[in-house]
Amino acid sequence: MKTTASVREQPGREPAGSDRGAQGAAGADGEDELIMHLERDQFVAATSRPVPRAKLSHRSVLALWGLRVFAVMVSAMVVYTFIAQLR
Amino acid sequence: MAGSQATVSPPLQPPPLTEEDAARSSDRSRVHLARLGGRRWSLLWLLVGPGILAMLGENDGPSMIAYASDGAQYGLGFFVPFIPVLFAMAYVCQEMCMRVGAVTHRGFGELVLQRYGSVWGWFAAADLTLTNLVTLVAEFVSIRVGLAYFHLGALVAVVLGLVLVVFTFSGGRYWRWERIVLGMALFNGLFLVAAILVKPHLGSIAGALDFSPFPGGSFNTLLLLVASTIGATVTPWMIFFQQGASADKGMTPRDIGHGRYDTAAGAVLAAIFGVGALVAGAALLTHGGAGIQGFTGAGFPQALRRVAGGAAGTVFALGLIEAGAVAILTISASTAYAAAECVGAAHSFNTFPREAALFYAANFGIALVAALVILIPGAPLLAITLNANVLATVLLPVSLAFMVMLANDKGLMGRFANHRSTNVIAVAVVAFVGLCGSAYGIDSFLLTAHVIR
Repeated sequence: MKTTASVREQPGREPAGSDRGAQGAAGADGEDELIMHLERDQFVAATSRPVPRAKLSHRSVLALWGLRVFAVMVSAMVVYTFIAQLR
Repeated sequence: MAGSQATVSPPLQPPPLTEEDAARSSDRSRVHLARLGGRRWSLLWLLVGPGILAMLGENDGPSMIAYASDGAQYGLGFFVPFIPVLFAMAYVCQEMCMRVGAVTHRGFGELVLQRYGSVWGWFAAADLTLTNLVTLVAEFVSIRVGLAYFHLGALVAVVLGLVLVVFTFSGGRYWRWERIVLGMALFNGLFLVAAILVKPHLGSIAGALDFSPFPGGSFNTLLLLVASTIGATVTPWMIFFQQGASADKGMTPRDIGHGRYDTAAGAVLAAIFGVGALVAGAALLTHGGAGIQGFTGAGFPQALRRVAGGAAGTVFALGLIEAGAVAILTISASTAYAAAECVGAAHSFNTFPREAALFYAANFGIALVAALVILIPGAPLLAITLNANVLATVLLPVSLAFMVMLANDKGLMGRFANHRSTNVIAVAVVAFVGLCGSAYGIDSFLLTAHVIR
């Protein structure tokens, strides 16, 4: 990550009424502080930090795997049809 | 004094700044000033981009050929209202992408990978790479078809596409890349000009708004039409692209309103231009759709020239070149976002190639591979072009499911998470797309394997 020395800090604040929704996971602190016109969690340094892993229920995981397997199977059918049509 | 000093919080230290931050900050300063000055149109101009690019990028070569083929084979009925309905569905999906990108400042690939695990992240990236590669081949075919009208060969199509990709890299600024591609994308309107040039009967267009007559033919043909038309409006790359571009542009939750205008404008323009291609293609209906299968030659534009005059053919050919060129840029960009996000490398047009080697290499690399495919003698370009949209439709529901999950994730989205009404529509879209794609895939397989007749 290359940093630049030519950038000067210009702390600023958006006018009243600005809002912020992301909490916690994305590193947001609920404020609308701007540094160099960027939100704090918008900097490369902040977005380089991974968001915490979500906990999915067993039912959700099963549903996702079911959808994934189904999509792969149907894709294989489309590819098979594609190859068969070439002959 | 000592007590009061102890209560004063130390000032927050600014994060270390990169050149990417500086470039994004420069763009955001203009947004900030426009907002402070109450300059509404200026603010809109600064914030539009990802939505229009995603929508008009999806009005790509194979999509426009699919619309025109629908018109040539079945006329205006059913498809005139069906195309806007599909773009309304696309709006629902793309609005979620924009919102998640603006709130989290992260791309789709990295969020899926970090939030739900690397297995799902890599699956999503693999889906994207496969569908993007097939689609990019179809884009180069589209440029080749357009250029063939002007008696130019495949090599010119390859060089043109690749030079464009490299040209847009210059500058190391997302803003510049976006404005170049946006300027090119507006020429998607050529399909509307082509529609006007074929002098359609306005009454027949208005009469088609009641979804009739329903397309005839076999059940499998109908499924193919529906699946490929869906694949012409909503695809996995659009999800990766709009979320990644919204984050790269530096959009914030305050910009969500303008992001919605941007996405809606893109959907409306894409629907109008898509219907334009359909109307132009319908001019061939009474002429038996002559020449529409000529993908290796000038095909469609030449057929249109014979029926509606040289101007209509020329405009349609130029439209195909534009559609293919813009899609090469946006689809390659979506691949680059996904690849770099998944390995945690720099992924921004606000960087130079030396700082984000993987991002730019993936961007150019996938375009190069696709370009080389169309130079292979005897490559099944027609089959690839026709199947590109179908494959995207089949793989789309998985990506859409994760998008809905992310947009509902209150830990990430806070009060910007999906409302109940949005979820109802989004789940209906996922179910509809999944049903249509899988119905075509299964029915075609059973027919090909001679299990059914």
